Amino acid sequence: MANTNTGEIMLKMTDIHKAYDNLEVLKGIDIEVRRGEVLAIIGPSGSGKSTLLRCINKLETIDKGSIAIKDRFLVQTKDGEAVYASGKEEREILSSTGMVFQQFNLFPHMTVLENLLEAPMQVKGLKRSEVEPYARELLGKVGLSDRADYYPSQLSGGQQQRVAIARALCMKPDIMLFDEPTSALDPELTGEVLKTMRELAAEHMTMVVVTHEMAFAREAASQVIFMADGNIVEQGEPETFFAAPKEERTKNFLQNML
Amino acid sequence: MEKLFDIFLLMLDGTQITLEIFFVTLLLSLPLGMMAALGRLSSLKIISRIVEFYIWIMRGTPLMLQLLFVYFALPMIGIRLPDIAAALLAFTLNYAAYFAEIFRAGIQAVPKGQYEAAKTLGMSYPQTMRRIILPQVIRIVLPPVSNETINLVKDTSLVYILAMNDLLRVARTIVQREFDMTPFLFAAIFYLAMTFVLTWGFKKLEAYYGKY
Repeated sequence: MANTNTGEIMLKMTDIHKAYDNLEVLKGIDIEVRRGEVLAIIGPSGSGKSTLLRCINKLETIDKGSIAIKDRFLVQTKDGEAVYASGKEEREILSSTGMVFQQFNLFPHMTVLENLLEAPMQVKGLKRSEVEPYARELLGKVGLSDRADYYPSQLSGGQQQRVAIARALCMKPDIMLFDEPTSALDPELTGEVLKTMRELAAEHMTMVVVTHEMAFAREAASQVIFMADGNIVEQGEPETFFAAPKEERTKNFLQNML
Repeated sequence: MEKLFDIFLLMLDGTQITLEIFFVTLLLSLPLGMMAALGRLSSLKIISRIVEFYIWIMRGTPLMLQLLFVYFALPMIGIRLPDIAAALLAFTLNYAAYFAEIFRAGIQAVPKGQYEAAKTLGMSYPQTMRRIILPQVIRIVLPPVSNETINLVKDTSLVYILAMNDLLRVARTIVQREFDMTPFLFAAIFYLAMTFVLTWGFKKLEAYYGKY
């Protein structure tokens, strides 16, 4: 287990509020993630956990609160209104995050290798020769060296998701965000993706993982948050959280998941 | 046999006009259609509305009427264009409107996740459009674009109304003068040949873009 409460604060979300029209989906969430920590967010669907994750890299905007990534404010609330960092600063701040989606979202018209090379070359302006060795190393790490020239459609869901992880890593992020990375996979394919994520956690990558995989949360997470109805119901280290949940809602949820 | 050859030579001139209208219209209306599609999808309501209005006018009135308007009505307000330019203007504006709707549908058919993936990788909007979205749009729109292109081959014959000597008008002139139906046969063979080449070309393009 990564040592908690000592490392540099990588992500700090304070009093996050968000509503769609009249529906409040986040009702004042506070989160703190330190370097090397793996935060697992669990909860029933509609609890706001994916929305919360998507706020971290501004796929969703917040109405109130603040988000700081590595001590730089992505958004702050001034006079009751959420104010985001300017374009250039925002891009710099967000460049330290990488994301893995439920539906993989690989670029279908590019080969596996091209998927990995695209952003480093287009966004960072690197030459192919500067990125390709690292891209191939990452493909090796996720066990897909021999699939570099395949198109995503020629791969299984589990393989696609591992490519998506490698693609995000190729931008060398400091925080990896996972939005239900195994929910779209056949049960027999979730293992290979979870294995890759465990390896990443073992290398002390800072991770925020929205998941339904209780076994993963229990073994790989350093912190678990249970969300329901836009609130954090319970939070703790996995040993105590799973062994002795305090709240009734948590108990019910965990019982239904097993 | 010699007479056939003479007819063929006469018709070559007409073919040239037809081909010119076809290729120039395609060359201008495809990029204009793409711009209109992006305008239609713009978050700026005013731009989106203007483009929507333009598309409504172009799709809502006959191409023939548009040709006549550019040719006869514009000179009344002091805009006098050479015949061929008038025809090209009407054709381009008309086809761009249809292409715009095809491209818009194509752009909207690319899943939202593609934009999100590009965004989380730090790509800008222009980079995302150019590198991620448009290559996928091309694959989606090839069949309907192929359809429109083949329509255009045949629509070129509408310029007869502007007294331009395109293939079909030349053919009709000869038929009326000589009481010989061969020119119609020639014209039919030409249109069919054009369509054959285009169908073949688009099939190749679809294979190329469909490789993934």
